[in-house]
Amino acid sequence: MERKRTDEFEPGPVPPARPVDRFGFVKQEENNPSQGSIKSRFVNEQEREERRIRKWRKMIGVGGSDWKHYVRRKPHVVLRRIRKGIPDCLRGLVWQLISGSRDLLLMNPGVYEQLVIYETSASELDIIRDISRTFPSHVFFQQRHGPGQRSLYNVLKAYSVYDRDVGYVQGMGFLAGLLLLYMSEEDAFWLLVALLKGAVHAPMEGLYLVGLPLVQQYLFQFEQLVREHLPKLGEHFTQEMINPSMYASQWFITVFSYSFPFHLALRIWDVFLYEGVIIVFQVGLALLKYCHDDLIKLPFEKLIHALRNFPEDAMNPDVLLPMAHSIKVSKLLEELKQEYKKKNEKPIQRAESSASKVTQKQLSARSPAFEESTQPAERSWKQTRLLSRNSRKSRSGRC
Amino acid sequence: MARTGNRNIQAKLVLLGDMGTGKTSLVLRFVKGQFFDYQESTIGAAFFTQILSLNEATVKFDIWDTAGQERYHSLAPMYYRGAAAAVIVYDITSMDSFGRAKKWVEELQRQGNPNMVMVLVGNKADLEATRKVVTEEGEQYAKENGMFFMESSAKTAQNVNEIFYEIAKRLAKASPSRPTGMKLHNGTQEGGRRLFCCSG
Repeated sequence: MERKRTDEFEPGPVPPARPVDRFGFVKQEENNPSQGSIKSRFVNEQEREERRIRKWRKMIGVGGSDWKHYVRRKPHVVLRRIRKGIPDCLRGLVWQLISGSRDLLLMNPGVYEQLVIYETSASELDIIRDISRTFPSHVFFQQRHGPGQRSLYNVLKAYSVYDRDVGYVQGMGFLAGLLLLYMSEEDAFWLLVALLKGAVHAPMEGLYLVGLPLVQQYLFQFEQLVREHLPKLGEHFTQEMINPSMYASQWFITVFSYSFPFHLALRIWDVFLYEGVIIVFQVGLALLKYCHDDLIKLPFEKLIHALRNFPEDAMNPDVLLPMAHSIKVSKLLEELKQEYKKKNEKPIQRAESSASKVTQKQLSARSPAFEESTQPAERSWKQTRLLSRNSRKSRSGRC
Repeated sequence: MARTGNRNIQAKLVLLGDMGTGKTSLVLRFVKGQFFDYQESTIGAAFFTQILSLNEATVKFDIWDTAGQERYHSLAPMYYRGAAAAVIVYDITSMDSFGRAKKWVEELQRQGNPNMVMVLVGNKADLEATRKVVTEEGEQYAKENGMFFMESSAKTAQNVNEIFYEIAKRLAKASPSRPTGMKLHNGTQEGGRRLFCCSG
């Protein structure tokens, strides 16, 4: 029995090399753009990209040392640049800076190691069952028990120990997977903590709790926003009995990292980490707005299909994101939140009391693991990293 | 459409069951004839349609494939509410998943449409070597609860079409004037949808 167990966890065969896109996803057959026109555009784009990288490097400083200063001094410049997209080679680092996860990492040396190696959680079986079903078309995660799958398992298990109220919830694997393509295991873990527990802000706190209370609230808010901003479509949805949970729940649960083109998901994540969940509502509305005239003609079945398979031109981040930012939702979102709270007085109260804690912008203790940790030691974050060799290349290797 | 004995039935069908039991794989096998060893986990729910022609009727399935994890439970009622048929899936290599299937049956008996056609499916029948739930146990439970039972394998396609054929037959046999779960004559858009969809 023991023997068999170890065999089971031997890495599987390395999958055969197949053409992948620039993010490492196995290419679909039909994706064969004509080469000619792309070349000249490519040179221009490359120059522009290099200029952007220089600006960004200056803004964040060596290893991110100037970041906080810059954000305080010129928040509008930061906002504008983030909305234009973080250069891919700096993305991993910048995400950690924006979310404040770097501070969590520095304040908690050794904690991740402790969680991975010495602790166990009730969610381990669930995690294992989902590991090979998370980004199965990405080369990094394809090999059974290979480095990608191991990292994914470690991060998810560590989180399920760290936050036992949440444990592991289907969907978290896509967040962790996305992060692991840009940073080491330990960095990805702390970013997950920053998202769900809060560092600078906690854009996903409460989302995965029992009953998925926030998902329910977001879906309510989204439905009303559609009625407000796209009244004709809202009416059509009502007639066809389309409810946002039929198409939008995964938008909120995974912040578009599930079944959306990867290049678009990344751009949304850039903004999400800085501005929070509002961008999910805005992108959702922008998608509906972009396809409005088509959607409004479709009956139930075709409508559902269309809402889950937006056309490629709708998913161009340079068109979709400016459109998303132009949709003003924050005031109405707040009103709708209050309205929803009133409607569901009791179950919301608990989520509310914990949400208020987040606004304190504190990095303080949320779990025993935090309390045991020492000062934000001088110890470099590089030294504390472990089990991360396989993904380190993705941080430094790109530019 | 006027041919005698040929009716159009549209039926909402929901798949329920623990995570990783193969709900999505069963649907993909039935709808597209495909199977993937590593099928991406379903987040939220997915929607498929498929048409089956029987001698007595043509049945069009609107299939809701749900996320299996317990945490997603709160989203499930909107998918099974008003459904004409439910396929409750467990994995024959996991006793836990069989327990979870029983919980779904109880919930549907309490909350679901009383005329719902319910099927209990033990999936992954190709994994005989690691079987934990014996066939008789599933059979027995299904019988006690007035359900139809089958063991299937989405991987080998064993019994997959049979499950849906059996459901279609039972739906066709049921009284056409039944108030929930069916829509006669596809042409009448107005009002028809209301029979199986679910608001709020």
